[in-house]
Amino acid sequence: MKRFTREAFLVLLAIPILLWTLLPIYHIFLFSISSKDSAFSGALWPDKPTLRNFGTIVREEHFYLHHFWSQIWNSLWIACAVGVITLAVATCAAFAISRLKVRGGRAVMNLALFTYFIPAAFLAIPMYKAMGMYGLLNNRWSLVLAMVTLAAPYAIWVLKQASDKLPIELDEAAKIDGATPLQLFRLVYLPLMTPSLIAIGTYALLLAWNEYLYAYLLLSHERTIPLAVALGHFIAADDSPWELLMATGLVYALPPAAIYYAFRRYMVSGLTTGAVKA
Amino acid sequence: MASVSFNEIKKDFGKTQVLHGISLDISDGEFMVLVGPSGCGKSTLLRMLAGLEDITAGTIAIDGRVVNDLDSKDRDIAMVFQSYALYPHMTVRDNMGFSLKLRKDKPKRIAEGVSRAAKILNLEPYLERYPRELSGGQRQRVAMGRAIVRDPKVFLFDEPLSNLDAKLRVAMRSEIKALHQRLKTTTVYVTHDQVEAMTMADRIAVMNEGRIEQLGEPLELYDRPANLFVAQFIGSPAMNVLEGIYKGNFVEALGTRWPCSAKAQEGQGVKYGIRPEHLSFAGQGIPAEIEVVEPMGAETEVLVKIGGQTFTVMTHGRAGYGPGERVFVSPQAAHAHLFDASSGRRI
Repeated sequence: MKRFTREAFLVLLAIPILLWTLLPIYHIFLFSISSKDSAFSGALWPDKPTLRNFGTIVREEHFYLHHFWSQIWNSLWIACAVGVITLAVATCAAFAISRLKVRGGRAVMNLALFTYFIPAAFLAIPMYKAMGMYGLLNNRWSLVLAMVTLAAPYAIWVLKQASDKLPIELDEAAKIDGATPLQLFRLVYLPLMTPSLIAIGTYALLLAWNEYLYAYLLLSHERTIPLAVALGHFIAADDSPWELLMATGLVYALPPAAIYYAFRRYMVSGLTTGAVKA
Repeated sequence: MASVSFNEIKKDFGKTQVLHGISLDISDGEFMVLVGPSGCGKSTLLRMLAGLEDITAGTIAIDGRVVNDLDSKDRDIAMVFQSYALYPHMTVRDNMGFSLKLRKDKPKRIAEGVSRAAKILNLEPYLERYPRELSGGQRQRVAMGRAIVRDPKVFLFDEPLSNLDAKLRVAMRSEIKALHQRLKTTTVYVTHDQVEAMTMADRIAVMNEGRIEQLGEPLELYDRPANLFVAQFIGSPAMNVLEGIYKGNFVEALGTRWPCSAKAQEGQGVKYGIRPEHLSFAGQGIPAEIEVVEPMGAETEVLVKIGGQTFTVMTHGRAGYGPGERVFVSPQAAHAHLFDASSGRRI
């Protein structure tokens, strides 16, 4: 009886949460398959569902969509670059701190933790100034570097915790077997860290894909901005094409959903690594 | 094959000194066991030999060559860890061939080496499996295979059987011993289990608090322990010890007289040690009361109380007594050990 009450309570709690989560997505979907006239009709399903909005997007047939393909390419390029670079930086740092026990490793970890106390928005202006000084404004690399800066501390922290879980005897066995630190890294450490690396790479990639503030600040040319910023431009006009905005938003949401779905197994195990004492 | 020599080895961890000048020579082909309680420094000594710990002072030589500053890989040693330390992402074949691959041996030679080791250890059916697909005993054999594949000068074993269940431990013990008899490679084996030490070693170094208490062949340590620590550490069940005064071929203790053939000064304070199998039940002798009877089949371990102190008596066959019964215990004088009461040294 107690168990039944508990489960009933959980189901009752889950229903509003599910509706709360799914309603906006349904709303986006509804708009994206509606024509401009019927978008605001208030119906739960459009009279004449249409895929015309997606055709408009693909063919870049609207003022706001003239650079759709280059903008989504920017998003993809920036996200992948951030994922790869964050992974490279964080993996090397975690290996050096956790396995090679380099001096000052503890200080680096504390600094990484300290960065959590500084809101990203707080650093936006200094970052803008710094990128300006290096002549990187309006260059995709400015956003990549900024996002790597924001993602790396968390990535280092998680990977270090995951590294600590690998038994030290493996390193010692490899050392006796004749492995150099680089061979240890390549042949033992990387293969064993794969789940955590996938999780962290995906985290950094999605962080960059979803970024708006820094992208808005550092990139301003129509051809260099990622799609997230371009979507913001839609609502600049009095007569916003909401149906196109929602359809583009839906397209924009698909890659991260696919990535998350593909790597969901690693996301859960990888990101919770180090969260609790084993 | 090679000799190993520790000369005045010291090890500090910060301000704590854990090894206080250990000197030990291990001959070519010898099976040396370092045994002692947790924290006695035996594993640290082994790890220093392996090149996994820095040496604070002293020298370690393998085959006459000082290896203090050599990397582990250049010492020509192989080590078997307590936790096996197999690479989980590699098959048994790759685990065993890893060191040869790093040494850039030709694939044909690696295959030969692995198959030779697999044959010795009966691992041939498991070569394509991953460590997670093996039982504890098989994993331990792979760890040993990884060591022998390299044909090293010295084998190091760091409590390799501690993770196995009792039955498997006995089986693996014999396997390691048989392997040593076959390969005749110099072996340094660390354990806290004195039974392992007694059954496997050519010589045993009993360690305590960073020092070697006694070095010798297993039965020598058992029959003539150099001090109280060794006397009580070696042998299972442990030696019975009581404190008393030596008076002409007897030790007076616990209100009774304990016979001994060893000599001490008249009136000297001594500790009298007698192993459980050297105490027997008799028609007359030292009065005792049975506390617990533990039948083990071939032998029976009986705990008796004499003058408020508990003693262990080991008898062959069945005891035929029950708790609370009053009996007489008779010690064999020739097997009694005397130790100085203050220093604990053998008299």
